Amino acid sequence: MILDYILRRLGLLFFMVLLLSIFTFSLSYLFPGDVLSNLSGVSNTNFAQSALLEEKYRVNSNYFIQYIAFLDRILQGDWGVSFASGDSVFKHILDLIPATLELSIYALLISVVVGVPLGILASAYYKRWPDKLISSTAIVGYSMPIFWLALLLIMVFSLKLGWFPMSGRVSLLYEIPASTGFILVDILLADFPYNGMAMLDALHHLTLPTIVLAMYPTTVLVRFTRESMLKVMDQSYIKTARAKGLNRGQLIIHHALRNALLPVIKQIGLQFSTLITLAMITEVIFSWPGIGRWLIDSIYQRDYPAIQGGLMAVSLFIIIATIMAELTYTLLDPLSRNQAHGKV
Amino acid sequence: MHLLDIRNLTIELQTAETTIRAVDRVSFSLKEGEVHALVGESGSGKSLIAKAIVGVLNERWVITADRMHWRGVDLMRLTPEQRRKTVSQDIAMIYQDPSRCLDPTAKIFNQIAETLPEVATTGFFLKRNRARKDRVKALIHKVGIKNHEAVLDSYPHELSEGVCQKVMIAMAIARTPKLLIADEPTTALESTTRAQVFRLLKSLNQLKNMSILMISHELEEIVNWSHGIHVLYCGQMVEAGPTQRIFSQPRHPYTQALLKSLPDYEHGLAHKEPFYALKGTIPTLQHLPIGCRLGPRCPQAQKECVVAPKLSKHHGHSYACHFPLIKEVK
Ligand SMILES: Nc1ncnc2c1ncn2[C@@H]1O[C@H](COP(=O)(O)OP(=O)(O)O)[C@@H](O)[C@H]1O
Ligand code: SF4
Ligand SMILES: [Mg+2]
Repeated sequence: MILDYILRRLGLLFFMVLLLSIFTFSLSYLFPGDVLSNLSGVSNTNFAQSALLEEKYRVNSNYFIQYIAFLDRILQGDWGVSFASGDSVFKHILDLIPATLELSIYALLISVVVGVPLGILASAYYKRWPDKLISSTAIVGYSMPIFWLALLLIMVFSLKLGWFPMSGRVSLLYEIPASTGFILVDILLADFPYNGMAMLDALHHLTLPTIVLAMYPTTVLVRFTRESMLKVMDQSYIKTARAKGLNRGQLIIHHALRNALLPVIKQIGLQFSTLITLAMITEVIFSWPGIGRWLIDSIYQRDYPAIQGGLMAVSLFIIIATIMAELTYTLLDPLSRNQAHGKV
Repeated sequence: MHLLDIRNLTIELQTAETTIRAVDRVSFSLKEGEVHALVGESGSGKSLIAKAIVGVLNERWVITADRMHWRGVDLMRLTPEQRRKTVSQDIAMIYQDPSRCLDPTAKIFNQIAETLPEVATTGFFLKRNRARKDRVKALIHKVGIKNHEAVLDSYPHELSEGVCQKVMIAMAIARTPKLLIADEPTTALESTTRAQVFRLLKSLNQLKNMSILMISHELEEIVNWSHGIHVLYCGQMVEAGPTQRIFSQPRHPYTQALLKSLPDYEHGLAHKEPFYALKGTIPTLQHLPIGCRLGPRCPQAQKECVVAPKLSKHHGHSYACHFPLIKEVK
């Protein structure tokens, strides 16, 4: 039955990716300009080159054949070349996505490590001062626009105090060979004498963007965890377990936490899509060389092949992350595990 | 000394506009080793009283009582922590909605095991574990579950309501409490296990001197071994007294109606003769009639009944009615 559910989820994944590919494919025709150059990224061609491209992109066949050719190229990693740089879009994406992922993953980690315990704490001190303090701080963080927060932090910590740099991933002093694309991992892997200093420098660069990006998901998790805990603590089975003789600590550890945190896991997964969107803004502000900044630059420059490729890559990531989160949640929750066959 | 002694217990629900009084000045007491029955139509507030004693009602309910003494200690005056300790040590309850009272994400074994009293065993970890397992197994056999392996390894939603109820019973008797409150403990069970559960409770009462407050519709099951009956209507105690007296001389029209609705009461029911039942249904708490709450449904009602009757007491038999029935001599 659980296998059945996983298959169903994979089926859904397949259809969503199919739709996504159709959408991306049609963008070439919807964008202004020549279809052929939108698809390939090559403009100002002479006659011989045009003939070659026409043959490759099958623009003279019907749409279906063109779509199949498009899928074939996508699968082979030929995503066209960027108008702006003339380099392969696929290579750009491969180079840039780790930086975005790294930032998002750290931000998500921070938000889980900070948000969930704070939410639990607030619920444990419901309506007393720790709860009031945490809840009102969360509201403030929740309603603060992140570019404003980013500018505030830059003003205080970069310009005034000079504690943290305001842009980039690592100081230009250090030449880090990119193997995984994750800067911290790369530094660990690269074996040179200033390893520790480079690490410290990279962490310094990471601090502000991570804080800015983590703010929103942290406040969401604080509020969600608190609500979830309060709801669970009000359930009959908690009251009766208490009457059975369990003290407050046992109650929370043995019964409340597991029931309350299951929906939180689902929520963490759902945060990922919001996070990627917010990461784009953060990347622009902090000149973080990730896919978000590149995508926004491409939009400004009307670099259609890059926009298509970037959109597709980001959407793919979000779809996969969402489905993974759902799967984890279902595998962990005995109730939904049992009802899995009833879900789409 | 009374084991449990309750005076004027009132339970109210605080809503945005009004307060709804679901239980109105109910008093009763219970001695050690006694079995008492709390009867009344569904919705009359039986479960609320039981939950108020154990202290598992939500914050929304306001509970007041002149006294709620447990072995001379007023539960209402204890701090929540002291109260939890006292109650969990001496009182256990079988809840009416078993599946909602079990943690949906914990296996049955763990839920029963954590109810077991801490025994100061000196053995090794493994040995202690073994002992716990055996005790859980023994408990679950006692309540009539045979395939213990499968049940103990399940989550509540994987079991039927009947099995959940049996698990609740096992948990309730795990600590051999001084008082067991059984809130319709057999509603979800089939008739053979029903009898088995009643036998189990009876033997616990007789062998372990455990007092029982039984909330049940099955009057015929408990009439032989209960000491007192308390009849509740719309949150008010309408009649209370020793079982035999209530059965032989019910004074309140509502009690009489309850007794008459028993299939073999008076042995007078001919083949396919309709059951005796009061007309109408129990009024909702928002629309209580003035005066005697039974008024609109009462066959005896007269003009005086618009004034609420007071509880009068004769020889430990109390009732609240202006026109009590005097049993006609046959
Ligand atoms: N959670 C609740 N919210 C509102 N009203 C309730 C709630 N629980 C019980 N009641 C009301 O309290 C009254 C007594 O309920 P209950 O004690 O469960 O009756 P019984 O156990 O005798 O069937 C009923 O009229 C019911 O409508
Ligand atoms: S007081 Fe009147 S209405 Fe109420 S039970 Fe007695 S006779 Fe019936
Ligand atoms: Mg009930």
